[in-house]
Amino acid sequence: MRALALIALVCGAESSVHSVAAQVAANVEAGISDVRYDGFLASAAASVSPTIRWEHPRGRGLISARGTYLRFESGRHSLDGSANGSWFIPLAQHVRAEFGVSAGSSQYANIASFSHTEGEARLHLMGGDRGGWAGASVGRSHFGGAARDVVVIAAGFWLLRNDNSMFVSLDRSVIGDTAYTDLRASGRVRRSRIVLEGVMGARIWSRGGGRGVFGEGSAAIPLSPEVALVLSAGRYPTDVVSGSIAGRYLTAALRVGTNPIRRPAPRVLPSDNPVYGGSDGLNASETRLIIQVRPEDVLLTLYAPGATTVEVTGDFTDWQPVSLSRSDSGTWGGTFRIASGIHHINVRRDGGPWRAPGGTTRRADDYDGEVGVFVLP
Amino acid sequence: MILAALLLATQVALQDPRLDRLDPDTRSAVAAVVDSARVARLPIEPLIQRALEGATKGAPGPRIVTAVRRLAADLGTARTALGNDASAPELEAGVAALRAGATTQILANLRSVRRPLTVALSVLADLVASGVPADSAAAAVLALAPKARDADLVEFRRAVERDIALGAPPGAATSVRLNAGATDVTAASSGNPGTPTRRSRP
Repeated sequence: MRALALIALVCGAESSVHSVAAQVAANVEAGISDVRYDGFLASAAASVSPTIRWEHPRGRGLISARGTYLRFESGRHSLDGSANGSWFIPLAQHVRAEFGVSAGSSQYANIASFSHTEGEARLHLMGGDRGGWAGASVGRSHFGGAARDVVVIAAGFWLLRNDNSMFVSLDRSVIGDTAYTDLRASGRVRRSRIVLEGVMGARIWSRGGGRGVFGEGSAAIPLSPEVALVLSAGRYPTDVVSGSIAGRYLTAALRVGTNPIRRPAPRVLPSDNPVYGGSDGLNASETRLIIQVRPEDVLLTLYAPGATTVEVTGDFTDWQPVSLSRSDSGTWGGTFRIASGIHHINVRRDGGPWRAPGGTTRRADDYDGEVGVFVLP
Repeated sequence: MILAALLLATQVALQDPRLDRLDPDTRSAVAAVVDSARVARLPIEPLIQRALEGATKGAPGPRIVTAVRRLAADLGTARTALGNDASAPELEAGVAALRAGATTQILANLRSVRRPLTVALSVLADLVASGVPADSAAAAVLALAPKARDADLVEFRRAVERDIALGAPPGAATSVRLNAGATDVTAASSGNPGTPTRRSRP
């Protein structure tokens, strides 16, 4: 019932998401799966998974909840839901604390019912593009009428390189007389508009929690700003805390909702670039603009691999297309007189559509297209 | 007399050779908007540029006129919020911030703590475009505006966007970066970057 309540909460909230504050985001995934739990026959299943996330208006914390309804070809179904919240407290420039709580429940037909509650504390040590954390969770896990204490100690490291991120974590879980250690490495890569995520791991030093390796991967392919096709597959281990058993799966799902797809990740402009450009647009892999302010003029250098012609237009050309010259190094360039202030720019390669170049802030223009914006000091 | 002045001004706008790229009807309508803006002491160059942009992109005439009128109205709103002494770049940045979701009150508050405002307003618009709630973005820029240099604001925005790309909730990313201090905005990360998002699985 607790899972039902959670799912009802999520579904009920979703319908009103668009009318409330911008810090609420929600989506629903509906898909089909082929799943084989360890010890069970393979089965097809249809699933619906709503998710909702709320952020404190000033960003001090967040609450999220998700649920999954799964109906197997046998006619049986499973429900699971979880909710968690975190509060962040900066302790120093490079250190901050996180306190969180989480609760969840799962139920398979009328056979098994799990629930758990946990409290968590983490200490984060941050760098500009890397960081680490260490923390511990304590709580209770219930199966039927029996309750067991839960203690999880975890540490990890993350690394960010442009659009790509990598995580490595090690955690030791003790649930009653069951104990195991999971070592995980995961990554997230963006290629054009497609987001690829994957995790590889191994369960070791286990007493009652099984052993072995596991891995999962997913690809989120945006079909529109609010719809994405999500393909995922893999094998995951038993989670004794939440009551999920190990299994293999292959899933294709449609994700619909607000903020379902992460926005394009920013790329850092060269540190000596004095110009305020912005995050790359969707076409960052096609063109990338470097702006250099010189005493007499401004040099625009464009990276457009594979292009045979490159043109630029903007307010500094009175929106007349100007062909750029190709250099020996394969880049395209041109010099312009550009006054300080806000400027709009588009580029096109090989006579194609006008695009916002990477290295500028991409915005929708007034003509059903896009335009790059940069500020010249 | 006023009518005569308007007619004269319209003639001046019509004589801008750059507008020759527009068809006669569109040029006339754009010129009227431009001259109304001139009379209202709004910057007219952004309006002409918006029309030329439409011409280059092959937009139909009515669409161009609508875009120019909308921009003129937004420039007026921005000027009301930022004051008569706001520069043209500031007004343009104000328009971007307003269109991103900032209120005129936010613009007025920023004006009271910082000049010039061009970069601050652009950062505000970009933060909102990155998914940061408008009130959170405004609070962050307002907090930084009195002391931060333009470069600090730009770096702040980049740091927040990096965190968002990492998976941090936009509002939390903004808050943590802000609390990390305007003088070292790259020092801290936000959200919960050590926790990959859970995949959909049965």
